[in-house]
Amino acid sequence: MVGAATFHAMFVEIVIGSLTLSVICAICCVQLAFPSPITNFRLSEKVMMAMDKAALAGAILGLVTMPLAILSGTLAAPGSAAGSALLYNKFVYSGLALGFWGAYVAGRVRLGPGLWKDKRLNLLQVGTAAVAFSMTTSAASIGGKFVRGESVYDILPLWLPTESTTVLHPAISALLLLIGIASIVVAFRFAPPVERLDQ
Amino acid sequence: MTSRARLLVLGAISCVLLATTASVANPGGNGDADRDYTCGGSCHGDPSLSMPSDGTVSLSADTVAFSGTATAVHVTASGMSLSGKRLVGVFLLGSLNGNGDQPSDHGWGIIQDPNGGTSNYVETVVPQSGSVTMTWVLRAPSQTGQQYLYASMHHGSDPNPDGLASLGASQAASIDVRPVPENYPGLAEGWTAPENRVTGDDAPVIVRTTNTDQLVVLWRLEGEWATHTADVESLGGGAWAVNLPATIGETRLQYQITTHNGSFAASQPWLTVGTTPPAFDATLLGARLQALAFASIVFGFMVSLQARLSPRGGEGDEATPEVDSQASLPEPEPAKDDYWSRLVPHDDHPGWLWDPVEEEWVADPQNPLQGGGA
Repeated sequence: MVGAATFHAMFVEIVIGSLTLSVICAICCVQLAFPSPITNFRLSEKVMMAMDKAALAGAILGLVTMPLAILSGTLAAPGSAAGSALLYNKFVYSGLALGFWGAYVAGRVRLGPGLWKDKRLNLLQVGTAAVAFSMTTSAASIGGKFVRGESVYDILPLWLPTESTTVLHPAISALLLLIGIASIVVAFRFAPPVERLDQ
Repeated sequence: MTSRARLLVLGAISCVLLATTASVANPGGNGDADRDYTCGGSCHGDPSLSMPSDGTVSLSADTVAFSGTATAVHVTASGMSLSGKRLVGVFLLGSLNGNGDQPSDHGWGIIQDPNGGTSNYVETVVPQSGSVTMTWVLRAPSQTGQQYLYASMHHGSDPNPDGLASLGASQAASIDVRPVPENYPGLAEGWTAPENRVTGDDAPVIVRTTNTDQLVVLWRLEGEWATHTADVESLGGGAWAVNLPATIGETRLQYQITTHNGSFAASQPWLTVGTTPPAFDATLLGARLQALAFASIVFGFMVSLQARLSPRGGEGDEATPEVDSQASLPEPEPAKDDYWSRLVPHDDHPGWLWDPVEEEWVADPQNPLQGGGA
């Protein structure tokens, strides 16, 4: 019998690996709107379009496996999966990561590959990927803190808080969830459709 | 991408990969627990994964203890190399057999370990002095005779290229366990000292005793010498409510129980109680709801932001030239109807109309010019 912890380790590795690829490729796509001033680091448009596709594929794979990682992590946690601020933060950061990565994929699918050539959309997309990756790695580093008592992020002078958290009352969370769902419905159903920016 | 850039990227990736160590098991420790000597939770008992410690570990205790009564055992670890975390794991053992060697396997009970719990293996950070002394409060076994206790330590070192754990063991400490004198006042079997109290909690600590008609408790803050007498209230049946002051932050409080039976008194070892923050109060459902709420709000906000910045809003980069070209167009001609309606006929100048805006005479198309002029 394979334990939930083993599945959790597998899914976390898939999530982190695919999302790392995604964020690196997304950062490289900055050059489509802001060409590198250093000629040697200038990538061809063909390479950047390939990176755009890799970034999208990585983000989709990460998004699909992230809920599985959360579920297996909940089953693998000793005692209550929300029994400490450290574990509670895993949920909070995972939720934020899901939101940002979902927005990244939705933006790329709706706006098309041409979004990279629009300076503001390019920056928004790269920023979304960077923040999403920060949230993902924060959630992952909490696992290291929990199991081994340390994390690679310990060497950074400044990072997101992991050992203190804000616990909302479930009723307030439910209300926020309804507001969030309503805003998504409005954005997709009632707002004027966005123009797809193809190559 | 040029070959130089490719080499640079490959070099950077190689540096990152080489910067990690091959393998270091549990560098952050493995936590206090009941553990056998051979494993310690990390399998460093395997000779291929360990080496002798360069430090010393020693154990001291009273040479005589009465069966079932409390006695203190002090373990001192010093002079060892340490890893960057300065962490050392110390075992209190009943033998060095490798397994089945915990004190409880030899009849000893742990009333309190050095960290406030009831484990035979504890971890602590060694101060800069390089020496640390840890005290276990034990209940002597019911079986009388000569008993032996050992201490062992596990620690890392820096540098530690082979990733080996350092192991050291003490000499045996011999303790003569004698039958308890009749009516000897002491702590009840099975009673363990509380490890922590919640911040601000001033609820009394319940102490259970045997053969005791009076209880005196002294307390002091850890690291201070001045002692104070605690209020004690008998609950009957050998139970006592000891009122220790509430503590906050990371304060640790030490207290010593003296049990009396008539004119005979027995002072027990000093015990320690720490302070913990209030229990974390959250549910799994609440955590899931909060995560989903954050996800939906972030998603909705970001999608709206994308729509706002997309060219559909007329504010994209491509829209700028159109706006500029529109801005450079000449002002539109006034509508023809507006123009003719503002012209005023004049009886003195038939065939002409007066334009009050341009202040000029205009030929009247309805009344062809018959003469006169401006």
